[in-house]
Amino acid sequence: MPKPNDYAILFDASHCTGCRACQVACKQWNDLPGEATVNTGSYENPPSLSSSTWLRMKYTEGIDRGEVFWDFTRDSCMHCSSAACVEACPTGAVNYREGGVVTVDQDWCIGCRNCVQACPYDAIHFDEQKGVMDKCTHCYDRVSNGLEPACVKACPTGALHSGSYAEMKQLAETRLAQVKGAGYEEANIYGLAEMGGTHVLYVLLKHPSAYGLPVGTVTEKRKVANGWLSAGIAAAVLGFAGVRWVAERREERGGERG
Amino acid sequence: MTGEWGIYIVLYFWLAAVGGGAFLIALGLRDERVRRSGAFLAFIGIVIGALLLVVDLGQPARFWHLLVGFHPVSVMWLGSAVLALSGLGLFLMLVLREWPGWLVWVTAVLVLLVVGYTGVLLMATARPFWSASPLMPWIFLASAYTTGAALLVLLGNREPGLHRISFNFAIAEIVLVALHLIWTYPQAQNAVQAALSGDLARAFWGFVVLGVALPLYLEAQRRAASLAAVLVLAGGFLLRYFIVYAGQTDVMRF
Repeated sequence: MPKPNDYAILFDASHCTGCRACQVACKQWNDLPGEATVNTGSYENPPSLSSSTWLRMKYTEGIDRGEVFWDFTRDSCMHCSSAACVEACPTGAVNYREGGVVTVDQDWCIGCRNCVQACPYDAIHFDEQKGVMDKCTHCYDRVSNGLEPACVKACPTGALHSGSYAEMKQLAETRLAQVKGAGYEEANIYGLAEMGGTHVLYVLLKHPSAYGLPVGTVTEKRKVANGWLSAGIAAAVLGFAGVRWVAERREERGGERG
Repeated sequence: MTGEWGIYIVLYFWLAAVGGGAFLIALGLRDERVRRSGAFLAFIGIVIGALLLVVDLGQPARFWHLLVGFHPVSVMWLGSAVLALSGLGLFLMLVLREWPGWLVWVTAVLVLLVVGYTGVLLMATARPFWSASPLMPWIFLASAYTTGAALLVLLGNREPGLHRISFNFAIAEIVLVALHLIWTYPQAQNAVQAALSGDLARAFWGFVVLGVALPLYLEAQRRAASLAAVLVLAGGFLLRYFIVYAGQTDVMRF
């Protein structure tokens, strides 16, 4: 679980207008180039995170019973307490820093991309030019100097907040009570249980799956343990079968000769 | 190079499985010469495979970073460690005239880990086609035995047990693959469809028809053992090809 004094961000979907000021501020502060994309019939752009897009607004668009809906969520690193990228990293280059921030040590990273495959949020990516991984840093260079992350600083509607984990959790609970009181019965807080508790919390008006967020996430440690268990049983069963098949065959042959 | 795991990874999975499978099966046979050739095949597969893995890195010159830390939860780290140690064990077996019993056992376990960890590696990801069923290690192990036995047959071993192993494991393998596709379908529809009728259909059906069905038919007819063995080996490659790429069908490219 995140510690009370860890750095944290709160995204409040009930206040987000999808203006993408956070997305632009992230590019500006971190000196990230733009992406060449094509129009796919959605205002969502770019279509996924990449090594040069660490934060984007995700638009969930459609028509429900004749009513158009257009929902916005933050799509970026969640800075998990039990981060799949960290646990999958074979060199320790992707690691937890002070305050629960997850970053890549680009001088130590070897570019094996195991973290890309492991992350349930698709928030870490391979930089083809540098040959190493890139991701959101929680603006560690800003927060460690007492500033807010660039995305939070740029938000004009109060949908993004930053502070200590204890403060953000408290604020999330306050907002949840308010939006529930306003009639959003499905409202919930996302990130309290996922991946050991994430340092980015969301206040959502609908079920997380309605925004395409992964639910029922399994930590990397659990997956690895299950994998080895399955492999162990497979090795025993298939090995036993193989030895028997060879032995049986030998006996048959022996019988034929005799 | 893109961020995907691509053809080098497929080739590595295949080489390590074929060589490792041949070694493990050869240990179960009583012929000293076959056991020695098994160790040689596994050594070649593991050395070339390891080189492919290094070339595939974004920073190949930093490959040694894998070997100086201790990260046992990372399947990638554990895989690199057993890969390096099994290479060492096999090298010792090749240069020693008499094999100490412990060396054979330790190397056998290491090679089994090399063949098996690849399945665990894929299971421990956020890709539903690899992780929604526990069958990845089963498929890779079964395929290692099928292709390993086929390689020994191709090199002229006529031990009847080999045919039996290749035949039975091929049946086990196709059943496991079918089960895996059904099991993962609810969570990985795009991947399963890519394999059955999409971009990867040629690899998938090539594996089913040329890599499993035809060799099984030839084996049952007791005909063209070498051709059957070549087909099984090619099938092992196609199996890994469609699995590695299907797992990444939902990765965005723009």
